Amino acid sequence: MADFIQLLVSGLAIGSVYALAAIGFVIVYSATGVVNFAAGQFVMVGTFAGVAMLVDAQLPAPLAYSAALAVMALFGALFFLVVYLPLRKSSVVTIIIGTVAIGITMQNAALLTFGSWPFRLPSPVEGRTLALGGAIISTHALGVVGVTAIMVAGLWLLFNKTTVGVGMRAVAQDIQAARLMGLKVNRLLALSWILAALLAGVAGLMLGPMWFADVSMGDPIALKAFAATIIGGFGSLPGAIVGGLFVGLSEVLGASYISSAYKDLISFGIMIVFLLVRPQGVFGEKIQDRG
Amino acid sequence: MLACNNLVVAHDDIVALQGVTLSVHAGETVALIGANGAGKTTLLHTISGLNPAMSGDILYDGASISKLSTDRRVALGIAQAPEGRRIFPGLTVEENLSLATVNWRRWRESIAGDLDRVFDLFPRLKERRRQLGWSLSGGEQQMLAIGRALMARPRLLLLDEPSLGLAPRLAEEVYERVKLISESGLTILVVEQNTVLALAVADRAYVLETGRIVLEGPASELKQNARVREAYLGR
Repeated sequence: MADFIQLLVSGLAIGSVYALAAIGFVIVYSATGVVNFAAGQFVMVGTFAGVAMLVDAQLPAPLAYSAALAVMALFGALFFLVVYLPLRKSSVVTIIIGTVAIGITMQNAALLTFGSWPFRLPSPVEGRTLALGGAIISTHALGVVGVTAIMVAGLWLLFNKTTVGVGMRAVAQDIQAARLMGLKVNRLLALSWILAALLAGVAGLMLGPMWFADVSMGDPIALKAFAATIIGGFGSLPGAIVGGLFVGLSEVLGASYISSAYKDLISFGIMIVFLLVRPQGVFGEKIQDRG
Repeated sequence: MLACNNLVVAHDDIVALQGVTLSVHAGETVALIGANGAGKTTLLHTISGLNPAMSGDILYDGASISKLSTDRRVALGIAQAPEGRRIFPGLTVEENLSLATVNWRRWRESIAGDLDRVFDLFPRLKERRRQLGWSLSGGEQQMLAIGRALMARPRLLLLDEPSLGLAPRLAEEVYERVKLISESGLTILVVEQNTVLALAVADRAYVLETGRIVLEGPASELKQNARVREAYLGR
């Protein structure tokens, strides 16, 4: 039982990171129609922004985290300006290939800057543990779940209670009608990219202490985030959360109870089953047009 | 109030409007009638700034707005209820309505008065205020589309085929409300295939055929015009 609780918490923690990456991915996809293949690299950049501020610059934690997130917001804005805006009139396929290209560029830029040697990103609660029902669980893992819950609540408030958030949903649903309502559509599109980058940044900062900070960490995260969105329902925010947690749990529990060699097989196997049996995912699109 | 001077608009290589000149004076209701594909929606899109004009100019209160973005034009008072209604399907009725106020609303300013005015005009929307846009019937969606445009506090209201896809009884109901809005003094440019309904509310009308204005005049005269009667009124 103690083992199970420990595994449950670390599965939820890693699942939270996947969920945040998947949410960022879904926000960009629904607002702009772009499948962002650089989504995993966004998380990598988040982790390395943390490495730069905490390890290299040795800033005190609160300052370092704020600085890293500011870098991420800037990065999102830059991605909007340099990648999305110039390509937005091209076909969606062109933009998608563009995100692949930029993803590869980002990974190699990180390789040039930080080298191939993995870093260890410290946690603000480094080495601390809590006893819970006979299990010893890491405070960091619990913190990750807590921070993710707060982020999700914040997103819910943003999208349901603020004009900006409702505007972002409107842009996602009908961009031309949103223009006719007087919304500053480009500003809202930029905001979706910034929000996605911030979520990836938080995910990266929390993932760093659980994994090693390695410049090639982006791809596995992207694959897991894709699997999460497919299982949860492509384009659905609740789906991204449920899918992310599900992938994280299946990975950790599968590795421990079945075999660590098969941990990826389990999550991707489930994804394939979903694609075959229920391609709309758990939260299949509820919205429909009634002409 | 609004003047389109010799507007030419093309989609890729296909010329949709070949030199359209049209004006709408403050306080009047103008109908633009014509068959499917005549370019009516293109003209409204161009006035709202969704399409660029290749040549020609759009004057609003005497100043050119051709270079302004759509949100600037909305802020100047040009609101549109687009063709096919284009309700945000995943937003509630109230969210659809309140979103249209972004052009004038200041921080924490109440929109209750504007909401009440729309709900007075369309009481059904009040009953359905918490429902999602997609769950409304076609007639309710059209009322929401018009109500949403009114929330923008327009000085010029553009209506694109408000009768489209509605049962005759519902289309008449929608036009009864358009009449009320017009009588309240708001300037309206309505695009319509249903010539009978449009000419009943309009003061003046234009007939658009394959991208050109072929006829114009007071609505009462056009109703008697032989060409209009044959081509559009079916008698």
